[in-house]
Amino acid sequence: MYPDNLKYHKEHTWVKVSGNKATVGITFYAQESLGDIVYVDTPEMDSSVEAGTELTQIESTKATSSVISPVSGTVVEFNEDLGDSPEIINEDSYEKGWVAIIEVEDDSELEGLLDADEYEKYVEDEVKLK
Amino acid sequence: MKVTILGAGPGGYVAALKAAQMGADVTVIEESEVGGTCLNWGCIPTKTLIASAEVLHKTRNAKSFGLELEGTISPNIEKIVERKNKVVGTQIKGIRGLFKSWGVNLVEGRGEIVGPKKIKVTNKEGSTTEIETDKIIIATGSKPAQIPVFPFDGERILSSDHAINPDSIPKSLLIVGAGVIGCEFAFIYKEFGSEVTMVEMMPNAVSTEDEEISAILERELKKNKIKLLKETSVEKVDVKGDGVSVQLSNGKTVEAEKVLVSIGRAVNSKNIGLEAVGVNTGQRGEIIVDSSMQTNVEGIYAIGDVVGGIMLAHLASTEGMAAAENAMGGNSKVNYDVVPAAIFTSPEIGSVGLREKQAAEKGLKYKVGRFQFRGLGKAHAMGEIVGLFKIIADQETDKILGAHIIGAHASDLIHEIALAMEKGLTVKDIAHTIHSHPTLAEGIMEAAEDVHDAAIHAPKK
Repeated sequence: MYPDNLKYHKEHTWVKVSGNKATVGITFYAQESLGDIVYVDTPEMDSSVEAGTELTQIESTKATSSVISPVSGTVVEFNEDLGDSPEIINEDSYEKGWVAIIEVEDDSELEGLLDADEYEKYVEDEVKLK
Repeated sequence: MKVTILGAGPGGYVAALKAAQMGADVTVIEESEVGGTCLNWGCIPTKTLIASAEVLHKTRNAKSFGLELEGTISPNIEKIVERKNKVVGTQIKGIRGLFKSWGVNLVEGRGEIVGPKKIKVTNKEGSTTEIETDKIIIATGSKPAQIPVFPFDGERILSSDHAINPDSIPKSLLIVGAGVIGCEFAFIYKEFGSEVTMVEMMPNAVSTEDEEISAILERELKKNKIKLLKETSVEKVDVKGDGVSVQLSNGKTVEAEKVLVSIGRAVNSKNIGLEAVGVNTGQRGEIIVDSSMQTNVEGIYAIGDVVGGIMLAHLASTEGMAAAENAMGGNSKVNYDVVPAAIFTSPEIGSVGLREKQAAEKGLKYKVGRFQFRGLGKAHAMGEIVGLFKIIADQETDKILGAHIIGAHASDLIHEIALAMEKGLTVKDIAHTIHSHPTLAEGIMEAAEDVHDAAIHAPKK
């Protein structure tokens, strides 16, 4: 449910960094609690985003939620496949269901994020009990 | 008592019927067609086009309802306009029938006030007659405002009057002004197949609405691939052989087959004889009236769009009834605090009373209750889960200050709250009223409950 090669943000997003490009998506837990995803808003290209702030919004049959960016940087790409088939996120939230690519300047932010085990424990111990 | 009314739109014809019901000898002068802008170029024509667009949209999404559709579906614009004309024709007959029934005398031609109690009418053939009257009600309405440097030509530069009578669907349409009219047409033309781009000077689409509502509508525009350029204005328009090239304030140029200008409406107060009797007008030509709808000239009243303010058919009708009653010796006033309004976008918007920002600006202490359409079983069953109910209530009295709904049937749903506001009911009164299940109206009850953080179908806050 939570791949080891990713870093996780407490607002239920994941990030995978390759060079200065960070691919961002929502976690299995996030997609599961949202239910059927019906729309993913396109973030503004070349806009800057701060870690911990809204990258874009996702609408599901249950709710409209913010996708919180786990890293700071410039939004350079959006997963266009989500335009016509937002349900990809429900089917595959880590590979085909990535949301955006952010160009990062400072990857030291990654150190503040959770690893797979920490995130899973966080979800089980703190989030689900609420 | 002789009452003569200039204009048979939703203000004038209602005033006429009201005055007739009260026993007046009523004459209505209409230059064009009874029903005015509302029936002939506005409310009703757009709603018939929207009805066609909705069927098209639903059919295109038939699969999501478990329906297999063989073949294709496409809009036949000629037939769509034909249906529109038929609907309008029926309503025209209805008004003419009511006039007959109540003995209202309809005079067709252009009226001009020539004395405090005298109106000259010029008919299409150019012959004139004079009508003597005791009271006059001016209900001449408004027309689409145009940008002087690129006036309407009906071919490339369209007004809403042209946009309701298309002879073809343009490949691309640039809409100047993302207000009520612009947004309604954006959804219509997009569904019919045009590539639609909107240019708006303000920071929001439908900027007269609550900001949360605007934001949701903007997302729906985006979902429908309608491009919205905000805080942008048009600098220059070049009409070429096969289209229009529009230069924008952001330095970009947009090419479109046609341009629809929907930047507002201008009052029709010229050449109707106001000067002859000294009726006062404001900066934009709007006729100035007091709270009884009377102008500065005794016995001359004005109602509807021509008095400026909120240009809504139903407000014109309300003012028309008040003016008729007052012309007949009554003392009627219009309550401008409770004026419901509807926008027929996809989804619809219904609103009444204060926006949240207005409540804050007035320094009021208020609470907000919200409920999402997606929290309603009925919305899911209908396949219409986008939307929000929002109620703004006075923190101390619990009375409703305003309400804003975006979502399916919002234009109908808002009236429960309008009635509550008109009668000074509290949020608790709405919450304690049983609402049928499963209905969209349950969302109003839940939003009312949410004002006190007690919506049953919302998570704990």
